[in-house]
Amino acid sequence: MQADTNTKKSFFVRYRLLIMLLGIAVFLPPLSLLFQFTQDSNFCGTWCPRMFFSWRSGTTAGEFLLGFLRSYMGVALVLGVLASTFFLGRYWCSHLCPVGGSMEAASRLVPRRLKINYSGIPAPPFRYGYLAVYLIAPALGIGSLCCNYCNFATIPRLFGASFSQADMAYFLRNAGLINLGLVAVMGFFAKGGRAYCNLLCPIGALDALSNRLGIRVGKRLGVSGSKCNGCGACAKVCPTWSIDVGEKAEIDQLSCMPCRLCEEACPKEAIAYGKINA
Amino acid sequence: MKTKGIIFFILAVAVSTAGATYRWADSGHSIGLIKASGGQARHPSYLESGKDRYMLIATATVIPPYKGDVRVVLEGRPVMDYEIYASAPVADLGIRRWPKFENNILYGLKPKDRVALWVLMRPPVLDPVCGMAKGEGFLKHSGNGRDYYFCSEACLSAFKKEPGRYEGGDRVTGKYALALYDTLSGKSVLNVPVIFKGGGETKDAGGHQH
Repeated sequence: MQADTNTKKSFFVRYRLLIMLLGIAVFLPPLSLLFQFTQDSNFCGTWCPRMFFSWRSGTTAGEFLLGFLRSYMGVALVLGVLASTFFLGRYWCSHLCPVGGSMEAASRLVPRRLKINYSGIPAPPFRYGYLAVYLIAPALGIGSLCCNYCNFATIPRLFGASFSQADMAYFLRNAGLINLGLVAVMGFFAKGGRAYCNLLCPIGALDALSNRLGIRVGKRLGVSGSKCNGCGACAKVCPTWSIDVGEKAEIDQLSCMPCRLCEEACPKEAIAYGKINA
Repeated sequence: MKTKGIIFFILAVAVSTAGATYRWADSGHSIGLIKASGGQARHPSYLESGKDRYMLIATATVIPPYKGDVRVVLEGRPVMDYEIYASAPVADLGIRRWPKFENNILYGLKPKDRVALWVLMRPPVLDPVCGMAKGEGFLKHSGNGRDYYFCSEACLSAFKKEPGRYEGGDRVTGKYALALYDTLSGKSVLNVPVIFKGGGETKDAGGHQH
């Protein structure tokens, strides 16, 4: 694979942390700005991006479609994310998502010696094993991962808990504590802060598919084979452990989100964002 | 590498299936409709008896033409301690109107309003023989690594004679309901059944119903 060379540091590289914090500010408490336009206070309800595509046993087609209407902003959000990813790469995940952004931002505050390295886990097989159960378990009527384990429910309540008793109530039950543990262990304490995103987020799993499918059409991070010397500096900083370094570095587009940390780390300027010639 | 991928796929399926099928015994989620003619929750919420506290998440939408103020109460015997919190933005920017929730009353509900109530319930400990809720002057008895409380010597001696007969009798079981009433007419506008199941019948306990 070969990417167009573009050594100029783009806006999305220079201001990534700022954009992440902006995403957190507009989505999460205390402001919850976007939710207030639809009489919501968090992702649960109109903005839920996870429940509408989960078919439950016994649900009629009408009820299933009603779920799309009930979460119409969540539907719009997911469709917008998938479409933008197809053409531009996973900027929602890397820059805008307040859930993933919070976990990554928090992980930057955790000392390196306390970080857990998940890079031994092959992410795509694990992720799609999880997604398969996410979709099939409710359809078979044997249970659900949907609301029970939800990063989009946990993170906003974590932000709101010190202000609101209703948000604090989320954690006064075993499911809330387990969810808190998951975002802590796979987010805050994960090397790069993105293990939850990479392994357990159903939106991320769908988004990664869009990223892979649009590889010939859209822009992606790619490695220039002629410049890469296989030093591995890129793989060391990748939060989604999506770079495999053999003789040359190779980016797995089924896991890559364009945080562009590898682009910054590469001493040979061999990694660039642009159209990829497969 | 391929083998490693297959192993981790199977591992993810196994762990996720275990997570999906696990029933949370201490919390439930109900979805309901608030109606002038008396709304119902889509399903009862099942909880497993024997816990110190429970959480019910009750979400509901107001169906036209209902509008008014609504009192929220947890009904059932023996009386249970409970607190109710309503979801609302931390900083209300005044973009949309929010029904105010104070002293367990939702003020100014209008058609299409949506409410999310978090009900924290703390069941009382019961005398396993007569079922009275623990109060002042109850007698404490320790057995099987647990403490039991009795209203009188008669109940205590009955328990000591046949402790197996009263097993589980100190836990709240049976039907409760989160009931919403219009404050003016007193009519029910929503009823959410909350069922505490005893040991051995907890297949559905804690299920998140949608």
